[in-house]
Amino acid sequence: MKSYTFNVERGKLREFCAATGETNKIYSDIDYARSQGFKDTPVPPTFQTVFQFWGYKEIWDDMRSLGIDVERLLHMKENYTYHSPIYPGDVMQVQPEVSDVKIGKMDMVTFGINYKNQDNVLCVEALMSIVLRPLEKQ
Amino acid sequence: MKRISFNDYDKGSEIPELRVGPIKQMDLVRYAGASGDFNPIHNDAEFARSVGLDGTIAHGMYIMALMGRMCTDWAHPLQFHNFSVKFKKMVRPGETVICRGTVSKKKEEDGQKMLHVDVTAVNEEGEVKVAGELILKCD
Repeated sequence: MKSYTFNVERGKLREFCAATGETNKIYSDIDYARSQGFKDTPVPPTFQTVFQFWGYKEIWDDMRSLGIDVERLLHMKENYTYHSPIYPGDVMQVQPEVSDVKIGKMDMVTFGINYKNQDNVLCVEALMSIVLRPLEKQ
Repeated sequence: MKRISFNDYDKGSEIPELRVGPIKQMDLVRYAGASGDFNPIHNDAEFARSVGLDGTIAHGMYIMALMGRMCTDWAHPLQFHNFSVKFKKMVRPGETVICRGTVSKKKEEDGQKMLHVDVTAVNEEGEVKVAGELILKCD
C-alpha cells in the first residue's frame, strides 16, 4: 500500500483532546509534560487514527480497490505497540500494509501500520482488523 | 503523573473507572472532525438505516480513546507497552459508557516487569461494548 507523511500539528492535538474530553495536562501543558520526562506534549495513545484518516484520505477508495465493500465494513480490533512518543512538529512517515486476510463466516482483513518520525525512529506499530458484515439474505 | 510500581498491584486490583455520557450525537460529530473518520454510519441516521443499522453508532475508536483517557489518568504514558481492544457491540447515542480496568497478570519478560490490565467499556446495563488489554512496563 502507498506510504504517506503527516505533520503533527498542535492545533489538531488540542482538537482531538477536546473531542475525546481529554483534560490531562500532559497533553496541553509543555512545562508539565517536560517535568514528566517528555520533550513536549505527547499525543494520546489512540491519536494514530488522525494520521490514518486525515493523512490518507484515499483510504476508502483503496479499500474498495482491495475488493472491500466499505458499506459492510466494521472495525473489529485495534492494537498499538508503543516505542517512542509522538510530539507536535513531528513529521510522521506511515507505511500501511495488508498483513492478514481471513475468509470465513465473516471475512477479516488485518492491516499492519508502522509510524516512524522524521528521524526514522519507530514510534508506534499498529494492527487494525476490519470485518465485513455478512450480506443480508435477499 | 504517577509511575505505576509493579509491587503496588496484585491480580484483581482495580484502576479508577471513567464514566462518560450519555453520549450525544454532537460528540460523534466532534470526534468525526477530530479524527477525520466521516463514515456516514456515525453521523447520518438515514444512511445508517439504509445499510441495515438501527441508527447512528459511535466510532469504535472514540470508545477506545475514552478507554485511553482512563489509562493515562492512571498510569504514566511512557510505561505503555501495548494497548489493544476488540470491538464487540455497537455504542449508540444516548448510552453512557463506563471504562474499567482490572489487573489480570503480572509477569517478567526478558528482565522487564510487565503489568497486564484487562480493560473494558460497558454501558449502564453492563453490556460489554469494547474489551481489551493494556500492558505496562513497570519498575
